[in-house]
Order: sequence, then structure tokens, then C-alpha cells
Amino acid sequence: MIGLSAEERAEIEAFIFREARLADEGDYESWEALVTDDMHYWVPFGRADYEPGTRMSYINDNRARLATRIRQLMTGHRHAQTPPSPMRRLISNVELLERAESEYLVAGNFALYELSAQATREVRLWAGRTTWRLRRTPQGLRMCRKVVELVNSTEPQPTLAIII
Amino acid sequence: MLAETANETAREPGSVDYRRLVEDQRVHGSLYTDAQVFDDEIERIFRCGWVFVGHESEIPKPGDWVRRTLGREPVIMVRAGDGCVHVLANRCSHRGTMLCWQDRGGGRRSFQCSYHGWVFSLDGKLRSLPGKSGFEGAMDALDLARPGQVASYQGFVFANQSGDAGPLDDHLGPGGKALIDRAVELSPVGRLAIGGGWIGQRVASNWKMWPESDNDGYHLAIAHASLQKAVPGTQYEAALFSSELDNTSQARDHGLGHVELELRRGYDRELAWLGTTRDKVQGYAAALEQAYGKVATDRILWDGPPHALIFPNLFIGEMNLAIVQPLSVDETIHYHTPLLLEGVDAAFNNRVLRQSEAAMGPASFFLPDDAVIAERMQQAWRAGRTTAHGWVDLSRGAGREQCDAAGRVGHVSDETTNRGFWRHYRAVMTAKA
Repeated sequence: MIGLSAEERAEIEAFIFREARLADEGDYESWEALVTDDMHYWVPFGRADYEPGTRMSYINDNRARLATRIRQLMTGHRHAQTPPSPMRRLISNVELLERAESEYLVAGNFALYELSAQATREVRLWAGRTTWRLRRTPQGLRMCRKVVELVNSTEPQPTLAIII
Repeated sequence: MLAETANETAREPGSVDYRRLVEDQRVHGSLYTDAQVFDDEIERIFRCGWVFVGHESEIPKPGDWVRRTLGREPVIMVRAGDGCVHVLANRCSHRGTMLCWQDRGGGRRSFQCSYHGWVFSLDGKLRSLPGKSGFEGAMDALDLARPGQVASYQGFVFANQSGDAGPLDDHLGPGGKALIDRAVELSPVGRLAIGGGWIGQRVASNWKMWPESDNDGYHLAIAHASLQKAVPGTQYEAALFSSELDNTSQARDHGLGHVELELRRGYDRELAWLGTTRDKVQGYAAALEQAYGKVATDRILWDGPPHALIFPNLFIGEMNLAIVQPLSVDETIHYHTPLLLEGVDAAFNNRVLRQSEAAMGPASFFLPDDAVIAERMQQAWRAGRTTAHGWVDLSRGAGREQCDAAGRVGHVSDETTNRGFWRHYRAVMTAKA
């Protein structure tokens, strides 16, 4: 990641990998602690080149709706994640896109293997590009935006009840 | 395709006895798994019958087009230069190349085939082709194929490929038309603006589980318990989640396969369906009142949209339209788009779109749970014709069902809707050709 000190780079990578692991392992409480109060979590239909809310997205969560999403997952009655999907994601090609005084805009590619353990028991492959907006706070780095552009986002998707 | 799914091999048309497999209060599970049944359905329901194609407001300008699939037949719904809407086979009449391979587009004056360059006008006429001298005789037969009948009601475009399904009016009946009317009258100018985009959820289940599940009032408190726990106080609290004795919503069979969960009878306040109150949408209420008068406005604000199936593939799911698209006996796509209105402000339609993002689609709060349950059903019915005690029970509320002028009616949690769907299904599948 050009434009970053070695310390910053290590810190950003550690954040991204931790975020990925917590999502993979369904540790939603710890995952939610990584986001700011103005978090926006967006999985657009097609590329992320439109104003979210002006046409349909798969996920377009402000902080309140993200909290609902996590609450629903944690009820223990979310059939679409009962049992939780075993999954692992690989993140690569991470680049710094922009930096402001207290924020970093970072993007990378991902491949996520999910076992849909709830019914069909097939392994689903989700692939795409994630863009994170990370903010330096007194508690350390936090995420204020996560945008996930699936390579096949214009195609009908199977159940996506995980944090992608 | 699911490795574990043992689909039954196709037999022959006419070999399935639908009278035996579809009883009034139970249906046989092989109807979800038998490849011959699927083929029969594509022929009798999706080719010979009326199916929903799209809404005219999706293609507001001449040259606008969208792609759809009628049964297995790929089509284009396009608005021609004279404003007329056409439904055309999405297949060049020469060698069969698909003409439009994206989902939608605009600004077209013609469709040109990418293989040999044949050009078709927006009404499907073959307009020109390279090297015409090599062809002999009239080229009239080489216009694009089109469904035998295309008709629209309140902008909802329907087609049947065979051309002998009778008038659309007879397919919709008074019940189907009234359901569509109730969606359209939500607009102060009586017009929808279906332009929010379609989201598709892919499900490894038979298509019929969707008309069933979308109109099942019995599963909410169990299958959607996680939503009720995570978001108490939604519009569904009184109309769907409340206990059997408290809940005054109804399940309705309007006949002809059009069935409804009539939530308006169970709402505990006006505008429950929009999750808001009149003081927050004053402009909307005023516009309705100016258009329809006070009495009708009070009714519309209480009733809201229907929650209903227009047989076989259109679900008017409150402020959503959904299309059930069969792919194979165990694969379906459930597409949805928000029911956006003309004549309202942007904030109103934004609210509708945000609700739609929350309710339906693969990452929403409702549909993924229905999808997983449909997939579990599909897995459990894998043995098809040899399933032990292979019957789906649909008897709930049969004894307390009433008839009124609009059809059959039961408690919202009764299987009146499912019985209505299957009753019409049996009629269609056993009709003489």
C-alpha cells in the first residue's frame, strides 16, 4: 500500500484481517464493535456507481438497519443462518485509494467460500471487491463504510444471510 | 444443480394423473419433484395460460426494453416508436441468436442480430438483412415470433404464448382486477412507476412453493420469529404475528388461483402498511383526498396494498411486485421490485424502496428464511413418487371456511389461500386441450 508508513500498513492489514475473521466466524458482537455510529454497509446491484436508496441494492444498511441485521442473526431463530454457515474468505490485492487526515479508503479483492449448511449443503463461492473506509478514533481504527461489489451482482443470488 | 437431488426422470405428457394427485385438502409431494410435472406445467400454465410479463412503466419511453422469460421462452418487452408495448421472442428468426442479452436498455430504434446482422423493428418486423438477393420469396414469415396474445390491465402486461387462453379479462376475473386496482389506487394519479430495479433470489426449490409461501399466513410467527424478535412493532405485529384469536386478518380465495392474505382487516391503525402515520405523509394524504375524496382516502390509507398472488407468477406483496420464475423442477428465481408510485414525492418512494430492501431479496430480513425452508422442503420430498406417506396436508381451516360474494374466506392462518391455488392448478392441469 503505497502512501502509508510500515506501521500504518500493518495496522490497516490487521484490521481488515480481523474484520474478515470475525465475519467468517459469526462473531457478530465483536464484529459490530468495529463499526462507527455512522457506518454504512452496502452491497449494490451492479457496480457501486449510483446513489444508494435511489434504486434497489442487496444490502443498504445505515447503522440502525445494520444493528437490526445483527440482532436478527443473534436471536438464534434466523433460519437462514441456522446453523451458521462455515465459511472462510481470502483477501488480496489490497490498495490504499485515498487518505484524509483521519481516514483511509482501502480496497481489495476477495473470494469467500460458504457452506450453505442450512439446507442444500453446497459450497457457494462469493467473489468481488470490498472497499473499506477506515477512521482513526481514540479506540483505534474503526470502519465507517464497507462496500461489497460482487462480480456477479447483476445475477440472481442465493441466500446471503451472512456478513459478506 | 444439486448433487443430492434425485429428480425423477421425465415420463410422457399425459401420464400424470392430476385429479388423483391434487385433492381438495391435500396434494402429493411428487408435484414438487417430478420432471414430467414440471414439463406439463411449463406447457399448460406458462405457455397456454396467461402469465405476467412486466409493467408498462418499466419502459416509459419509446425504445426502452426489458428482458423476461415466459416459462422457458426468452422474450423482450419493448415500447415502440408509436408508444405501443410489444412482447417479442428474444431470438433472431434466422438462426436463433439471442437479440438482447442484457437485462434492460433504452434508446433503441431496432434490434440487430449480432450473428448475420438481421435488423428487426421494435414491433418485431424484419426490416433489413445483408445480402438480400440470396433469399427467395416473401420474408414475412421471418418476423420475430411473438406470444399469441398480449394484453394489459392498469399497465400490468400479460401474455400467453399459445394464443388460445381466452380474454385476459376472464383470466383475471373480478377478483384479480380488484387486487390490481387496490395497488394502483395507492397512487393519487392512478399510475405506478416501476423503475426501482429488480432483485433476484435464487432458490433450490420448486416454483410452486413460492405462491404457497408468499400467501401462507400460518408460518409467520415461527418461520419469521427472528424478525419479530429483532424488530418488534412492525406493521405485521397485529396483522400477521398476533395470536390466532386476536388476529382479524383473513385468508381469501378469489377464485381462478388468485389468493390473498387480507391484512387490511387485521391492521390496528391506518398506514400500518407503510410503517408511518398520516401526519408524516400529509402531502400524500392531501393528494389522495383531492383525487378520490375523503371517504376513499380514509379507506386507502387504512387498507394499503394487497398481499396477493395473481396466478401463476405475479405476487403483489404489499409495496412490492414479485415474479416467480421457474427454472427447473427444483430451481426457481423470486424477483422483486418496489411498488413505486407516480404522483408522490421522492421521500415517499424512498420509503417504499427502503422497505422493499428490508423485506425481500437474498439479504433481506424475510425472504432468506422462506428460501431456506423451501429448500428444506425440496430436500425432504426428494423421494418423489416413492415418498412414504407422500402427501402435503392443506386442511387447516377447511371446516370453518366461509363463502361470500368475493369467494372463499378463512382466518389468515388458514390454508384457504393454498387450497385456492391448488384448486385452480388442478383445473388448469386437467383442462381438455
